[in-house]
Amino acid sequence: MSVLDIAKGMGVTLSHLFKKPVTVSYPEQKVDIKARFRGRHHLLRHPNGLEKCIGCSLCAAACPAYCIYVEAAENDPANPTSPGERYAKIYEINMLRCIFCGFCEEACPTGAVVLGHEFELADFKYKDFTYGKDDMLVGTVGSKWQRREADRLEKPVELGFKAGQRVELEGVDY
Amino acid sequence: MKVKVNDVELDLEPGTSAIDAVFAAGYDVPYFCSQEYMSPIGACRMCLGKVGAPRKDRETNDWIRDAETGEPQIFYFPNLMATCTTAIMDGMVIDTLSKEVRQAQSGMMEFHLINHPLDCPVCDKGGACELQDRAYEYGAGTSRFEFDKRHQEKHHALSELITLDRERCIHCKRCVRYFEEVPGDEVLDFIERGGHTYIGTVDEGLPSYFTGNITDICPVGALLDATSRFRGRNWEYDHTRTVSLDDASGAAIMVDARTGRIERVKGARNTQVNLDWIDDSTRFGHEYVDAPDRLKTPLIRKGALLEPASWEEAAQFIASRLAVAGKRVGVAVRSDATLEEGVAAKALAEHLRGHAEHFPRPAASVIAENPATFTDVATSDAIFVVGDPTEEVPTLDLRIKDALRGVAPPELLAHGVPIADLRLKERMPRKRSILTVAAPYRTNLMRHAGQELIYPAGQEEDLFGGVGSGKAGASLAAEQLNQLKSALSDAKKPVIILGAFVLASAAATRAAEALAESVGAKVMKLGPMANSYGLEALEVTSDGGYADLLTQSDVLILSNLNPAQDVQIGERLRNLDLLIVHDSFETETTGLAHVVLPAKTGYEKEGTVVNLEGRFLNVYPAPVDSGTSEDFIGVVRTLGEALGVRLDGRSVRSARRSLAKTLNHDLAALPEEGLLAPVDAKEIGETVADTVAGNLLLTSSLLKVDRLRRNPKLRAAHGDVALRVNPADAEAQNLEAGANVTVNIGGVARSATIKITEDAPEGLMLLPATFDQALGLTSAEIVPAADLVSA
Repeated sequence: MSVLDIAKGMGVTLSHLFKKPVTVSYPEQKVDIKARFRGRHHLLRHPNGLEKCIGCSLCAAACPAYCIYVEAAENDPANPTSPGERYAKIYEINMLRCIFCGFCEEACPTGAVVLGHEFELADFKYKDFTYGKDDMLVGTVGSKWQRREADRLEKPVELGFKAGQRVELEGVDY
Repeated sequence: MKVKVNDVELDLEPGTSAIDAVFAAGYDVPYFCSQEYMSPIGACRMCLGKVGAPRKDRETNDWIRDAETGEPQIFYFPNLMATCTTAIMDGMVIDTLSKEVRQAQSGMMEFHLINHPLDCPVCDKGGACELQDRAYEYGAGTSRFEFDKRHQEKHHALSELITLDRERCIHCKRCVRYFEEVPGDEVLDFIERGGHTYIGTVDEGLPSYFTGNITDICPVGALLDATSRFRGRNWEYDHTRTVSLDDASGAAIMVDARTGRIERVKGARNTQVNLDWIDDSTRFGHEYVDAPDRLKTPLIRKGALLEPASWEEAAQFIASRLAVAGKRVGVAVRSDATLEEGVAAKALAEHLRGHAEHFPRPAASVIAENPATFTDVATSDAIFVVGDPTEEVPTLDLRIKDALRGVAPPELLAHGVPIADLRLKERMPRKRSILTVAAPYRTNLMRHAGQELIYPAGQEEDLFGGVGSGKAGASLAAEQLNQLKSALSDAKKPVIILGAFVLASAAATRAAEALAESVGAKVMKLGPMANSYGLEALEVTSDGGYADLLTQSDVLILSNLNPAQDVQIGERLRNLDLLIVHDSFETETTGLAHVVLPAKTGYEKEGTVVNLEGRFLNVYPAPVDSGTSEDFIGVVRTLGEALGVRLDGRSVRSARRSLAKTLNHDLAALPEEGLLAPVDAKEIGETVADTVAGNLLLTSSLLKVDRLRRNPKLRAAHGDVALRVNPADAEAQNLEAGANVTVNIGGVARSATIKITEDAPEGLMLLPATFDQALGLTSAEIVPAADLVSA
């Protein structure tokens, strides 16, 4: 190794001194994430308000981490939850087990479960990591902790990112 | 017969179907309409193969040979053949692999899928669907059908228990054939023709006790079990193959549980017992297991109240009370307890110097001298039934109907039961003349009998005496009885089936056995519960019987029994030093108990039972969340620990060690079809004097009245507990159909709904008995149920 090589290496370091820094001072500053980032799941609805999920459990079957639990039930024909005969009575994802691989999204025959952009899922208790339908249906913004905190402060949930819109995330507005 | 399938040469029996040749050779063809125990009809056209055979020259009587090779020339059928309806011929060549065949199969698959809705994600059959699997294996993957599919009713409730999705039906006709061929209740048929064809019924609901089997054999998701609708996907269930403890047949079942609940029960195959079929009560009568009022923790009496406790506390409480209690100890288990539980009960009784007993136990032994197996029944040429097998042992009802078809169970091939048994035909003539059914009332099976004998209840001894001597007896003409006797003596393999009413009287059973010996008939005795045979063989019996045990004990340990249903017995039980009740639900008896221990149901136990043939069958536990419930083995283990002794039967293994000494069989991991090892009949203490008079006959019921309240679907389909009354009696006593009444039988008050029917003979009302009531004649008083509104 010659002095020249050392000078070359230091040159690279030196050149970065004059570039724009990549560090984002999160949470004061919002993270810019890619449109196809895989974060917390959303359960979507059809434009007519019915849930897209039909409780078929294929997401649970595809899940490599066994973090999804679905219990289906029969729709009341007069007041259906989803189109057709079947809907998910219970839909739970254990966010601690989830590896955000997106296989559930690929397995879903109706495009009901889609991985969104939310990543701020930290919480205090194990049980709070089990997200039910109410925590994931479209319209719910933020993680459980973020919503609890927003309730306490009587402020809207503030998400720490900005991202490009994804067509699959029908009806989700960050 | 030599057959060549693709490249495999086989030697098979004449009469084998080509589809079985294909499977025996280790190849596969798709099929939807064939079912092992039903006639092959070639409806689905999926099992197409290129089939040919050599021909003989009529003049030389030699094979027509190929000019070049000198080998016999193969003449192929002009079209591809449905292999399920083609019998093999000598030298036959079957091709299932060529492009032509695969293309035809994928073409048929495309036809089947034209009107199929492909709603697999919401279909309960998804994941265990023959159409899905075969479409994946043999289908083209795409459809050229661009038009609207046929739209029909999506969820038509055929009955409370079965849902029909008409869009999914592929018209394989399995369900229609099943009802005609297996139970003989023709309740379903095709309606309309061509593309408009649908499955339907003109009846209200499906009036048969064997409807659920169509959900097992439906190759698509058209016919589905309504009790398990949308409960889970097929891959999510924990499957446990076990044995039904609902009756004495030992029918194989598959229990599907999910997250600690039993979601569905399906029939499983036991080629020696139930083939593929189970009755509706076995299939749909499981809902009680997950009932919300199930006992899940031990209860200890503190003053007037029973308070929850741990097993250790309960055991300590019992041990301390046993030290000061009187010495006359009685241990009684219900007759569906496993052999291992029987060992535990005996060991506990022995340690406490008391008596062990099982109940219900008929007056006569349930072990026959010359026992008949189900196969003997199915191949018999003269069957004399006394009783009501449809209600007592439903599996037997179907096996008797097998005998009427006159087709012996098929020989197993390399791949198991033949898929297409060409001896079976649609709408076969039935040899009804071989079946004689005698009962005190009109039974279901009589519709299929050549001769039906209705005798006055309680006169079974006279009936057998009459048949034996050829004299008139039991109000039946000598001519009828003579005809029966000659039919039995002329037959090669006669079988006499003795139901509960015969076994209720030791004298009648002796008369029946004398008759069987004189005509050389085998005997099948219908024990009251799943392990009556085993517990009797194990001698879990006491001299005085259950009645004495109840009256002459200071300490009673009862498993799944409810003697206090009778208020008079209940009064006596109040004075016991210690009453320990092991049960799954609160009953009148748990209300009096000092300690209540939660019991496992028949689906949760591990053990062995012996069915009415003397067949040892393993019972395996399904993963059901029943709190801290234990079987009787668990009770004995915990009590043994508290008393500081190691009792036999403290675990399944220790019980099996003890059983191996007396039975010479290792009971761990028996084969699926069980181990047929009948034991010798023993003399048992005859109990109760026979009652000969009364206005009410307590009958068995496949619906299990004790559980009916917690089986809402089964109850909705078959109605409440019915008191069957003859129209003449109903008019005389001013009883209205559908009215709710209370039936007072001794100290037992039963509520029932009046059903007016000619089935009940004049002067005799019929009521299904609970587990704790002895079957047979009794006197009852009918009181109109208190008007709930005014009360």
